Amino acid sequence: MLTQIEVLSTLEMLKNEHLDVRTVTLGISLFDCASDEPARFIDRMTSKIAALARNLVKVCDEVAVRYGIPIVNKRIAVSPIAVAACSCAPDRMVEVARAMDRAAKAVGVDFIGGFSALVQKGFTRGDHALIEAIPEALSATERVCSSVNVASTRAGINMDAVYLMGKTIKKAAELTRERDGIGCAKLCVFANIPEDVPFMAGAFLGVGEPDSVINVGVSGPGVVKKALDRARQANPRLDLGQISEIIKHTAFKVTKVGELIGRRVADALGVPFGVVDLSLAPTPNVGDSVGEIFQSLGLSSIGVPGTTAALALINDAVKKGGAFASSYVGGLSGAFIPVSEDLNIAESARRGFLSIEKLEAMTSVCSVGLDMIALAGDTSAETLAAIIADEMAIGVINKKTTAARLIPVPGKKVGDKAYFGGLLGEAPIIPVPGADSSAEFISLGGRIPAPTQSLTN
Amino acid sequence: MKKIIISVLGHDRPGIIAAVSEVLFRNGCNIEDVSQSILQTEFAGVFIASYPATLNTDELRGRLSEALDPMRLSVLLCEVDPAGVWETPPSEPFVITTMGPDRPGLVAGITELLARFGVNISNLKAVFRGGDNPHQNTMIYEVDIPLDVDQNLFREALYERGRQLGLDVSHQHREIFEAIHRV
Repeated sequence: MLTQIEVLSTLEMLKNEHLDVRTVTLGISLFDCASDEPARFIDRMTSKIAALARNLVKVCDEVAVRYGIPIVNKRIAVSPIAVAACSCAPDRMVEVARAMDRAAKAVGVDFIGGFSALVQKGFTRGDHALIEAIPEALSATERVCSSVNVASTRAGINMDAVYLMGKTIKKAAELTRERDGIGCAKLCVFANIPEDVPFMAGAFLGVGEPDSVINVGVSGPGVVKKALDRARQANPRLDLGQISEIIKHTAFKVTKVGELIGRRVADALGVPFGVVDLSLAPTPNVGDSVGEIFQSLGLSSIGVPGTTAALALINDAVKKGGAFASSYVGGLSGAFIPVSEDLNIAESARRGFLSIEKLEAMTSVCSVGLDMIALAGDTSAETLAAIIADEMAIGVINKKTTAARLIPVPGKKVGDKAYFGGLLGEAPIIPVPGADSSAEFISLGGRIPAPTQSLTN
Repeated sequence: MKKIIISVLGHDRPGIIAAVSEVLFRNGCNIEDVSQSILQTEFAGVFIASYPATLNTDELRGRLSEALDPMRLSVLLCEVDPAGVWETPPSEPFVITTMGPDRPGLVAGITELLARFGVNISNLKAVFRGGDNPHQNTMIYEVDIPLDVDQNLFREALYERGRQLGLDVSHQHREIFEAIHRV
């Protein structure tokens, strides 16, 4: 027998606090599609995606209705294309991206990730071809997402790749200049990329993963905020240890729901269940904001002094609650701080509380990195690369995932606003102090060696 | 062994269960299930007990009345007939919750729909206290919905009925509540 409080508190989470499953992502391996003929690879890839993902949206919708939990996004993540289609030249890589876009559209998913390369230690021909193709691939498609892992704690930082990504981001922005460089919103540069991320733009299916797998991304910043507000209202003397406990309990509940839904979808599709990625991922809706949580913790705004400590507390409590709820927690699991995708964070950036330096500091304790940050259109490739290098260093030294999703908005300058629309939101363009001062360092190239933290055997 | 079902109703007070179980024990009965509920000031208890072939159930009814009449409790005793028991079809457990202002006919309106779809109520907790607090005007039905019921049709009919009755209706799989609240 359920108690009244169990029933009513659950309904409160569902109805007023945006408890949902943010994404069910079907991983599809493309290694068995490999061919030295690009056309054959594309045919095999298209057929495999169609066969495995044909019922994805239908099954997700059925499970969502049956359980009364919305599944907001249904997505696909494929093997890194730079590996699966390594024999393709850059123009053929663009064809692969177009085919991915069509395949995704045909099965009704909003994003397909995996136009990706792993180059932390060096490039293959396929990696070079893919990275060269990224700008055109992202401008020519709607649904394709791209990620490039340029660093790891084990390998160090491939600074040639970092520089190349700086140039690639510039080109991607230029090719989508009429939409404020939206191509860059679908491109992430990573250190220590997890192989099972269900969230875009970083989702791809790692080489150690099964032929197909369901990974689930759950979110719930609104649930956490409301739980904190209720608890602090009931007891204004709560200290941070008790607050951490509340976040932990909430993360536990959200993760349990995510795993339940993920397993039901996986069972119905006949695909193994992989992981739950419990990430506080905001959307540009009021009440679905990570930034608002900081206000619930007594800071006037995200970005003011105290923010990094608060973020560390939140991120840690989220992981602890998630880890207790499920033995299969993976992906990024923590708090996202994407500037444009969170009204509250974007507003804090506009008011000057969130500088790029503060955001960088925060990424040392959040789950990902410099995310959806709009920069002036004349930011150089070298400056972009230097920002990426700093971010990668934080990940490599701290044995964590970090990423950079930077958008140098063509034709716009500091103080202007970039508009991406939909879930990608809008953001003020923030300054980069000391820009154009890093070119010589970046041009040195080579690989920053792996730190002693890598010597764990 | 034969079974009896006994229900006891009346003002709640200490000693009701003790009085019933004492009589059952002294008459060789073995309690298999017992459940009690208190609504406002009133007690309701249901017992299922097996009893020896030598026991006359009319005599047992008399002894129960003897013990319970001084406490102003009513007692009803029936033999459990193993024939004609309703068999649950393969079903899935759901929780239907309603919130909204009190008015006559809410329970009747919802349960008529459940009955029409062959949905069995396994547990029901409803409170109507008036006022604006939704937690004071709720119905929580734990139900088993047969697998052959069209979920979409049922849900639409349920929500439509909720609209007619001025209720905010939710319909969730029971596993969600268990996942969230049970370790």
